[in-house]
Order: sequence, then structure tokens, then C-alpha cells
Amino acid sequence: MLLSIAIGSVVIPLKTVLQVLFNSRVGDAGFSTFTTIIWELRIPRTILMILAGAALAGSGSAYQGLFRNPLADPYLIGAASGAGLGAVIAITIHWPGSVFGFFVVPLAAFIGAVLTVLLVFGVSRAGKTTPVTTLILAGVAVSSFATALTSFLLINSSGELRRALVWLMGGSTLSGWMPVLGAAPYILIGLVTLLSMGHALNVLQFGDEQARQLGLRVPLFRTLIILAATLATAAAVAFTGIIGFVGLIVPHVMRNLWGGDYRRLLPLSIIGGATFLLAADILSRILLAPQELPVGIITALAGAPFFLLLLRKSKQQYW
Amino acid sequence: MKKIFWKSLIVVLTAALVLPGCQPKPAKSIQQAEPLPINLTDGLERSITITNPAQRIISISPPLTEMLFAVGAGGQMVGRDSYSDYPAEAKKITDVGWTYGKYNLETVVNLKPDLVLAGEITTPELVASLENLGIKVFYLNNPTNLDEMYAMLKTVGVLSGHNTEADTLVKTLQQRASALQEKIAKVTSRPTVFYELDATDPSKPYTPGSATLYTNLISLAGGENIGAKLTTAWPQISLEQLLVDDPTYIFLGDANYGTTPEIVTHRAGWQSLTAVKEGRVLPFDDNLLVRYGPRLLDGLEALAKALHPEFFK
Amino acid sequence: MLEIKDLSVDLNAEPVLRNISFTAKTGKILGIIGPNGAGKTTLLRAISGLIPIRIGNLELDSENLVDKSIIERAKLIASVPQSSSLPMAFNVWDMVMLGRTPYLNWLEQTSSQDDEIIQFSLQQTQSLDLAMRKVGELSAGEQQRVLLARALAQSTPVLLMDEPTTHLDLRYQIELLDLVQQLTRQKNLITIIVLHDLNLASRYADEMMLLEHGQIVAFGNPQKVLRDAVLSRVYQIPIHVDKKTRIPHVFPK
Repeated sequence: MLLSIAIGSVVIPLKTVLQVLFNSRVGDAGFSTFTTIIWELRIPRTILMILAGAALAGSGSAYQGLFRNPLADPYLIGAASGAGLGAVIAITIHWPGSVFGFFVVPLAAFIGAVLTVLLVFGVSRAGKTTPVTTLILAGVAVSSFATALTSFLLINSSGELRRALVWLMGGSTLSGWMPVLGAAPYILIGLVTLLSMGHALNVLQFGDEQARQLGLRVPLFRTLIILAATLATAAAVAFTGIIGFVGLIVPHVMRNLWGGDYRRLLPLSIIGGATFLLAADILSRILLAPQELPVGIITALAGAPFFLLLLRKSKQQYW
Repeated sequence: MKKIFWKSLIVVLTAALVLPGCQPKPAKSIQQAEPLPINLTDGLERSITITNPAQRIISISPPLTEMLFAVGAGGQMVGRDSYSDYPAEAKKITDVGWTYGKYNLETVVNLKPDLVLAGEITTPELVASLENLGIKVFYLNNPTNLDEMYAMLKTVGVLSGHNTEADTLVKTLQQRASALQEKIAKVTSRPTVFYELDATDPSKPYTPGSATLYTNLISLAGGENIGAKLTTAWPQISLEQLLVDDPTYIFLGDANYGTTPEIVTHRAGWQSLTAVKEGRVLPFDDNLLVRYGPRLLDGLEALAKALHPEFFK
Repeated sequence: MLEIKDLSVDLNAEPVLRNISFTAKTGKILGIIGPNGAGKTTLLRAISGLIPIRIGNLELDSENLVDKSIIERAKLIASVPQSSSLPMAFNVWDMVMLGRTPYLNWLEQTSSQDDEIIQFSLQQTQSLDLAMRKVGELSAGEQQRVLLARALAQSTPVLLMDEPTTHLDLRYQIELLDLVQQLTRQKNLITIIVLHDLNLASRYADEMMLLEHGQIVAFGNPQKVLRDAVLSRVYQIPIHVDKKTRIPHVFPK
């Protein structure tokens, strides 16, 4: 984490970084820029990346457990496409630029993600249960619809086209402490809830029937897990954009190394995700300074080959 | 036309340097005509107070960079976005990056700007983030006609302390525009124009629609943009519609990206267009129309010359 | 004892079980036999609560089970599934531990008492040495044993098993059922097993139930139920029951 704070396109010597962190030499005028950079840009960004990485990997691991599918990721049941649609709607409606207005796009993205997941959930309910395959199918269908609607809006927009594309490619342009304050409560609530679901996820690995016979209230826990994971994912997507691979790869790697017990896998995924995304973010800042690469590209470039390598090396079945 | 522009610029700059009473500073000198402080409303409807002309300006919009140089404030710039490449001097200014709407905020902070000029491509969220870092931002909406562009030039002049130069420049540009209007008023026909922005899919090329600067300028140049009847700003027109409209001229705004009239003649279905058959497919420097600074006049004059060459012997 | 009265179950608006009434005694194994589609699995699922009972009564020692919550039911009825589609990377100990789910507190921590029960269940099924292995590494017989251990860890008076010997070699079939029989006696369980194999059923069941088209065709001790005429009709092939040995055997004529 210190590394993330110390590195950026503006070179600040490590000693200075530490001094700023521990508030010595506060009055020094020349340091005010460094102070601003460190406290207003780097530290919040570091925290945001940690939160987002934790949210994506934690949700990804929960979804893989819930759907008993190694390809499940936080976007499976529509969170990403819903967020995109919400953001584009907010952008094309042209909210006034009041203070609240600056939060409108992430808020809309968040609401879009949550509503989409609720829709998928509602559509898949069959009586009292929500069978897994139906959820996945509904998720695919609703996602496609949301994406198509987004494209339609983009085509028919005027000046907002660029802003909308900017959001879809790179995520929110909010920087500083604002996105952290916006995302943190939801991510923390979601992750804390998920952490308490470790045992339930273990039980669910044996299928709905066995889980029920063992005394687990399957619909309740399934709902809780989906809501908690969606909350965390939606908050992450709303403020950092759609970053792929974190939610898919990190849980797999953790499972490969430390086994499939969700009481361990969830916290490990959370920590692993935070580290992975932070590392990717550091790379995105230094590789082509002063240009910054979108983090999603780094995660894909780094994550995919690493994962393939891991698959080849591990002889034992790890699922 | 360009020479006049450059000459006036040089005159202005030289005057700024040479006239007594000016303090040469690391940044170019400042002349004030209006009493400060004043309040200006920016494009996001915020009231910005100007107490001193900005000395350390970062522009994150290429047209605004051009405007700054045009009014003589180029030397007061300390940063610019990656796409600000005109005039050539702009490239020497520190690059603050551009990655899908996000700039390198650390570099921005480190440059200690006292003003950031932003155009419509910048999101309000980014403006808020900059303000949160204690940086003053002035946001300017894209102009839809020449008068709005003149107003922007004047604003840029006020912000950078070059009111006089800005006013002078605006007058010069207005003169050029009126001269053009006189000529155009005498035309007997208004040829139809198809302005191509992008034809990656030749059956559905992109063209400027209604209420865009393009349509306005084409009209001032004595033509009619066939895209004007489409309701959105950057629509795709179908090849069928294009064939029905059969414009007299085709301007290739994507010439800067490699499209040539030769390529157009090979596109399926395009051979039946009159403009293609009679060789009226012309490459056009889109930067003269999309970078909405003083060069718009260059663009306007180029359009008029192409449409009504008989008036510009 | 487990009492069922007038149980009827419809699935997809089709009647699957009709007027089922019987009693399963404590310390005894009840073997359910019948051709495919007779409703044997449906009956087990209705008892374990997977299928809601709308018509009929289910009582355990005179306590009505129909309205009980999932957790309460899980403390009373444990099911041993067939050993297919288990998550391969799961630890045996952790899997058996899941049997304690209905007893875990809100934070889902296991107490030392839970650990003792888990260990004991593994011992009783002679699978303590498998505790640290992965489920995917076990043979079918071993998997069935640890699934039994999990059911035992649930500490329930009722044990349900649906065709537990399906994927097992003959030797392991016998071993498993010997074990089940021994545990039923020792712990006074009410054990209900659906069995495909009539020989095994006749060997291990204290009482038998023959189901056909969702109805009880015969109920009682094996001698009473395993009769030439009724078996031949229900299974639709000629069957002769050998009465010379103390345990009747069944083989086609």
C-alpha cells in the first residue's frame, strides 16, 4: 500500500512521502503540492482500488460458490450491463451541474446495477426457489437487453455521446475522496455480510436439496448472498468502471492454492483482490507516464496469462 | 487569409512586448482593459470570480488551447491535454495526459495552475474533482455558431488578461466573416453538401446533423448540409438517403485519417452519386471546423471557396 | 416411531403418491422396494421435507413434523444422498462438519462438542483415517461411508437413505449395510432405505414396503411382503421366492 502511495507520475522522494504522511513539515509552503498530491489524490485512490478489488474478488468468489460455476463472476447476473445503462441514462438526460449532480452518474450506475440484478432475480423465481440455471439464463437475457438499450441511447444522443463513451470505457471521472466516500459504505456492508456467509456457501456446494436437508434455509441465504455481492459490485462499478478479470481470476487462484472452503476462501479472495487491483493500478500509472492506462486493460493483460499458467501447472483438480 | 491572421497575432504579441508600461515576466505580459475583480458565469452555470489574470493556465481542450495562443496567452500556459497540438508551440507545453476522460491529476496538481480551462469533453465530475483539489476551473460550452465562438474568445481574453488582443482578434474575424457574407449574398445557387465524418461502414456514414456548428458554417458558406434534416447531432445517414439527396459536393472530413477521393470511387453504390461521377469529392481539413477557435474562419473561407470558386478568383 | 397417515403427493399436477399410511419403528430398518416410478424417492423426499406435504400427516413420536421449520426438521431427519456430484476439492472433515449445520449458532462457529461429534461419526463409519483427504480422492464406497458419517453427525433419530448401494461393489454394499444395521440397533435409529436390489432388501430390512404406482401394495416383515404372485405382478417378470433358507431369496423363474 505504501508503494501505491509513493509511486505516481510526479516523482516524490520516499522520505518526503513519509514526512507528508506523518505530518511533519506541514507548514512548508513548497510541500503543499506534495501534500495535496498525496492526501487528495494518491491515498484516496489507493483506498478506492483496495475497496474495489476486495469487492470484485469477494463477490466473484461468492458467485462462484453460489452458482457452483467456475465461470461465474460479479457481472454474471447483470451488474455490469445494468450499471452501464444507468450511467448512460443519467448522462443523456443531462442532469444540472449542481453538487448533487456530480454524484448523479455513479448513483445512476449503482441503481442500474441493483435494479438489473433484482429484475433477473425476480424473473427467475419459480415459486419459492430460484433455480441456478434460470438465474444464469435470465442474467444473460437481461444483460443483453440492457446492453442493447445502452447502444440505442448512445446512437440517439447528441453531445452526450462522448461523455457516455468515456464512462463506458474508463469509468467514473471522479477523483479524490469523493468516490471513496461514496463507495465505501456499500462495499463494506456487502463484504462484511459475505464474510459471514462462509459456512452457508460451503453447504450450498452440495446442491440445494442436500443443503435443505442439512437445515440451511436456502432461499434466504441465496438472497442475502446475491444482495450483498451485488451491493459491493455495484458500488465498485459505479466508481471505478467495469474492470474485468478480478472477480473471475482471484478466487480461482486462491482456491487453487488454499482449497475450496469458503470460510477461508472469502477472506483470502478479498485480500487477494485488493492486492491484485492495487498492483494493476500502480502499473497503470507508471507504464506510460504521464499517460495512464485504463486499469481494466492491465488486469486483463496480467490476469489471463497468469491464470492459464496456473491451470497448466496444477495437476490436481481444484474444483 | 491565414497570413492576415498570423500577422495580427505577431503584431499583438510584439506590441505586448515592446510597448512601455508592460512588465516582462516569465509569463508573457498582461494588459488589462476591464477593471478587476469581475464575476463570470461558466458553462456549468457557476459563478467564477476573477481577481487577477491567470498566469499558470492549463487547457484540457484543444480548441481552447488554440484560443489561448490566439489571444496571446500562450506563454501563460503551463499544461495542456495530449491532443492540443496547434499551434506547434503548444506541443512544447507539459502534457497532462488523456485517458478516456481522465487526466493525470498528479501532474496537474504539481504544475500549480491558477486556472484550468475545460471544454465540453470534460465531465462535470472531473470539474468537481479538480475543485476539490483546490484548483479553479472554468468550463466553456462548445459554440454552435460564430457569435458564440467570438464570445468564448473574449472570455478567454478576460481570463488570461488579454482582453484587448481578444477584442481585436474578434473584430478581425468578424470583418472576415462579413466580407464573406457580402460575397455569398450574391450567389445564385446554394449547392447541397454531404460532409463525411466517418465512413467505416460505407452504407451508413456519419455526418453532422442539425444544430451543429458544421451545418451553420456550411450555410454561411453558401451551401446546404443534407445532414441538417436529421434530428440528432451526429447521425448516420443511409446510403439510400444519400443517393436520393444526391449532393452536389462531398467533403471528406475524414481526410485527416486517410480517406481519399480515390477510395470513395471504389465504394459499392457510391459510383452513382453525381458528385463522384463529376469529380466533386474533396478532402477537407476537419480541424478547421471541429477545433472551434479562430481557425473556424479559415474553415469557413475554405468551404466558401470550394462551393463558390467563381467568387474567389 | 415415525407415523405417516394418508399421505398424498402430486407433482406437476400428476398424482405420485396416494393414501400412504405406515409406521416405521425405532431401532429397525424399513426397506422400500418397488419398480421405477413407483414413488419411492418421492416418498423419501416428502419425509425429509423437500416436497411440502399438503395432504396427510407425518408424526415423529406423536410430534407433528409437517409444520416444523427447516432447521428443526434437520435436527430430526437426516438424509444420505447418492454419492454423485459432490464437490471434489472438499475436505472430508469439513464435509462431515456440515452435518452440524442445524446446531451452529449465528456466527456459524463449531464448538468442541461439535468437533467431538464429528470425530465420533467418522469413527463409527470407520472413516476417521479419511478425515484429511479430499472427497474427490475417495472411492465410491468411501464416499458413501463419509456421507453416512455426515448424516450421523446430524444426530437425528431418523435416517433416510435413497439407494445407497448403487455405485458400490458387492463387498462394499454389504459392508455399508452391515454398518447401517449395526448403527440402527446401537443408536435406536428409525432407518428407512430405498433399495433396488431385492436380495439386499430381504437381507437387511426388518420390515419392508412394496410400492407400486404410488400406493402401498404390501407392508410387513420380508416373509410377508416377498411373495411370488405379488412380486411377479409388480415387477412384471416371473419371480420365485425361496423359502427353504431362513432369509427368502428372489430369483427369476
